[in-house]
Amino acid sequence: MNPLVSCPGCRAVLLKDVFNRPDLTPCPSCGVPLRVEVFPALFRRINPGESAQPVVMADESSCFYHPQKKAVRPCDGCGRFLCALCNCELLGQHFCPACLEAGKSKKKIQKLENQRTRYDSIALSLAVLPMLIFYFTIITAPMALFVAIRYWNAPASLVGQNRLRSIAAILLALLQIGGWITLIFFLSHRKS
Amino acid sequence: MAEPKYQRLTRLRARSQFAVIYQSRSGLWLGDDHLLLVEASGYTENYKRFYFRDIQAITVQATERGRVWNIILGGVLLVTVLALIFTIPKTAPANWTGNQMAGEIALGFLAAIFAVSFLLSFLAGPTCKTYLRTAVQTEELPSLSRVRQTGNVIRKIRPLIVAAQGELSGEEVVARLQETIRAPAPAATSRPNPPDEAPPVIN
Repeated sequence: MNPLVSCPGCRAVLLKDVFNRPDLTPCPSCGVPLRVEVFPALFRRINPGESAQPVVMADESSCFYHPQKKAVRPCDGCGRFLCALCNCELLGQHFCPACLEAGKSKKKIQKLENQRTRYDSIALSLAVLPMLIFYFTIITAPMALFVAIRYWNAPASLVGQNRLRSIAAILLALLQIGGWITLIFFLSHRKS
Repeated sequence: MAEPKYQRLTRLRARSQFAVIYQSRSGLWLGDDHLLLVEASGYTENYKRFYFRDIQAITVQATERGRVWNIILGGVLLVTVLALIFTIPKTAPANWTGNQMAGEIALGFLAAIFAVSFLLSFLAGPTCKTYLRTAVQTEELPSLSRVRQTGNVIRKIRPLIVAAQGELSGEEVVARLQETIRAPAPAATSRPNPPDEAPPVIN
């Protein structure tokens, strides 16, 4: 990416004294107040990826995926030897592409996890929303109970680590089920 | 696997002011070595991590949105209060009919809602848009929409970014940008990898 910084309003390249000031400063081009904090990473050059070197000596280790290429290091996930092309660095660790993909899909590498399903919210919605039309709860209360228990150990939000929603869903669902059992019991005894 | 600890920087906020039916909400959290942008839509949360060592720039652009909202809310509040004043019956409240009482309560309730909204919007201060730039993307941070709040967040994260990268003064930035403009574009030296060098897919 180009190291030049532009005004988000007029797209004019900013070159004058608007950087790293504590307050808003007008854009020299359009006059919109701006605050631009710039850090050294803006001027850091991105190194081009290394290309894999061929195996020259017979006793040299070769890449698991490219037997003609020289291995540079083992994978931290599976231990297979990797050439420079297959060596994927992630926050100081080195992985082969297969381990990286598995780490993301099976959520083994937490730094790669970019989505979570909120089963606790699903369970709570199943327990609360159908109460607007009470008859639906005969179906949704067991569903809420099932979701809350089935996904009790599923990771919740990455930023909210409690089980209050699941507990609330279970309590509400049990109350609704209890209510239906009582109602059915009462009706059946009244008829007889 | 231990879950990382995050500190909340902003509350979840809708990406669009007019999103009523389907709302994607966005919030910002502070981790050990990164900012976490959480986008909650329905029953899923999507995460984007911005590591302190990768953040190139944070741009705050003041907007007129807050002023427009204040004018709209203030106008509606004024109309509601005037309606409330001019519809008060001349008789003592004890002699009001049921309809008169209900009308005054409804208007008073509406005026209170608009007054609280106006006050909250006014006290929150001017609005802005905030963008965070890394080497590969420029991401808008919708939850940083007030200048004062954004200033507080920058004050909190700036030392962490400086600790990870070092610091540049405004003059240094200008000098380096001008150097960049004067310097000739680097010649392409690396050749693209031929297709046969791509790692195989293992099933």
